[in-house]
Amino acid sequence: MTALRFESVSFAYGAHPALHDVSFALSAGEGLALFGPNGAGKTTLSRLAMALLRPGSGRVETGGLDTRGRSPEDLAAVAGYLFQHPEAQLFERSVRAEVGFGPRRLGWPAARIASAVASVLDEIGLAAEGERHPYDLPAPRRRLVALATALVADPALLILDEPTAGLDRSARAAVLRVVQARRARGAAVLAITHDPGFAAEALDRGLVLERGRCVRDGPLWDLLGDPALGLPLPAPAAVARRLALPAHPPRAAAVAAAVAERCRALGASLS
Amino acid sequence: MSLGRLEDVRFRYPGEAAEALAGVSLPLEPGHVTWLTGALGSGCTTTLLVAAGLAPRVTGGERSGTVEVLGVDPGSTEAAAVLAGQVAFVTATPAVQLSGVATTVREEVAFAPANLGWARDRIRSAVDRSLERLGVAHLAARDPGTLSGGEQQRVVLAAMLAVAPRLWLLDEPASALDAQGRGALYQLLAEVAREGAAVVVASEDADGLAPVADRLHVVRDGVIALSGEPGPLLAGEQIWSCGAGSTAVAELARMAGRLHADPRLAFPYPITVDEAVRRWSV
Repeated sequence: MTALRFESVSFAYGAHPALHDVSFALSAGEGLALFGPNGAGKTTLSRLAMALLRPGSGRVETGGLDTRGRSPEDLAAVAGYLFQHPEAQLFERSVRAEVGFGPRRLGWPAARIASAVASVLDEIGLAAEGERHPYDLPAPRRRLVALATALVADPALLILDEPTAGLDRSARAAVLRVVQARRARGAAVLAITHDPGFAAEALDRGLVLERGRCVRDGPLWDLLGDPALGLPLPAPAAVARRLALPAHPPRAAAVAAAVAERCRALGASLS
Repeated sequence: MSLGRLEDVRFRYPGEAAEALAGVSLPLEPGHVTWLTGALGSGCTTTLLVAAGLAPRVTGGERSGTVEVLGVDPGSTEAAAVLAGQVAFVTATPAVQLSGVATTVREEVAFAPANLGWARDRIRSAVDRSLERLGVAHLAARDPGTLSGGEQQRVVLAAMLAVAPRLWLLDEPASALDAQGRGALYQLLAEVAREGAAVVVASEDADGLAPVADRLHVVRDGVIALSGEPGPLLAGEQIWSCGAGSTAVAELARMAGRLHADPRLAFPYPITVDEAVRRWSV
């Protein structure tokens, strides 16, 4: 099933063109990193996918629904969205109420809402914060609350605008865990990110925007480390390449295992 | 000469039982990039808020101890006159730092110099230079409200740079920047420090800050638990037990060390790819 499809999509903010003739499709379970320099059109693309903007020309289908003539509410059951600035999407007085907002709008019965909210807060490590006011939480936790609102209805498509920006180590690990788990359950994930390390661990395809155009779309490991794209190779992959370690793909756990193996072999040859 | 200091500062947010800062002392040294790191809630951000005078003035709460910047307490009423244009405070969410009154990026960057009553020519050259250094000259005529998150972050930094502040306080300033922007920002911080500013940056971006920071303070539970040159602290094990972290390579070495006990995988850990390749080739 196609979770998201862009067909020749162009968009301009008044006189400022933001996207030009962008086409791609995302299938169930796929993890796509959307890369590009600041101002390339990444957030615009994500807003088009969520029907927060409508294409100037071309066609956007989210969860099989043409966004033209649809409102963001119509997509709430099929797609979850993490805004670049969580402040744009948090307005309830407690974390629990905030995360329950979407399900309430979807008309879920109270018991189902309570159990879905409890389960997502647990998944993301916020179980103890349910009664806190979202604005009393430190910014990284607030971002996790916003992520929980995107996850709670278990959508088949997650669109995450810089999910790890400004996060501390434990929050970043929580996001990574959640993205891996949701993909394993069949959700498609599109993540805008400046964090190649996160992309390498959580995703496997990359699309690069430059000045509103799609300049590359392919396997992540073909893009990371390409000097023309300015996407640094994450440190574990750089170590694996320099030492010619057998770790494919060179994610941190696989590289660590290969390093340990290399040291074991070196140790044996010394003795 | 020192620009100021925090001395045994304690701080408690309103309605919170625990102290956010439980006795922090920190010199504000011109010419230095001082880097604060720690787990979430450790007190890094609060340290910056206190140094900027925003805590408790804006946040509420109670503070004790000494905070001094250019001879005044930044939280006091007389501080505004002394510190106007001298202190830059950069948060992780740039959108909230735009003035909201400028219709172009150029006006936004000129806002602080104009408020300081600078002459027109001086404003123009400061703004031009600032836009250039942050790589946003091509956005000068744009409406700041319509820029992307990363572009806004650069514009906010350009607006700060325009008045040549003597103290920079930055909280995860590269959060919305792409890889090039991140590197350029850290270089800029090193440059303004060389030009005589005191730079204090709170960040978990060990890979980005390790090459430019002069001194690292690891904050845990509202106190500075470790201080020193970044290299040795990042290569050690203690920084991890403080709930902070090190570079991606040090983390990789620790992961490998848990799989196989070997002196090559023990601390001091390699902290760069080059060090790791050397260590694990022989």
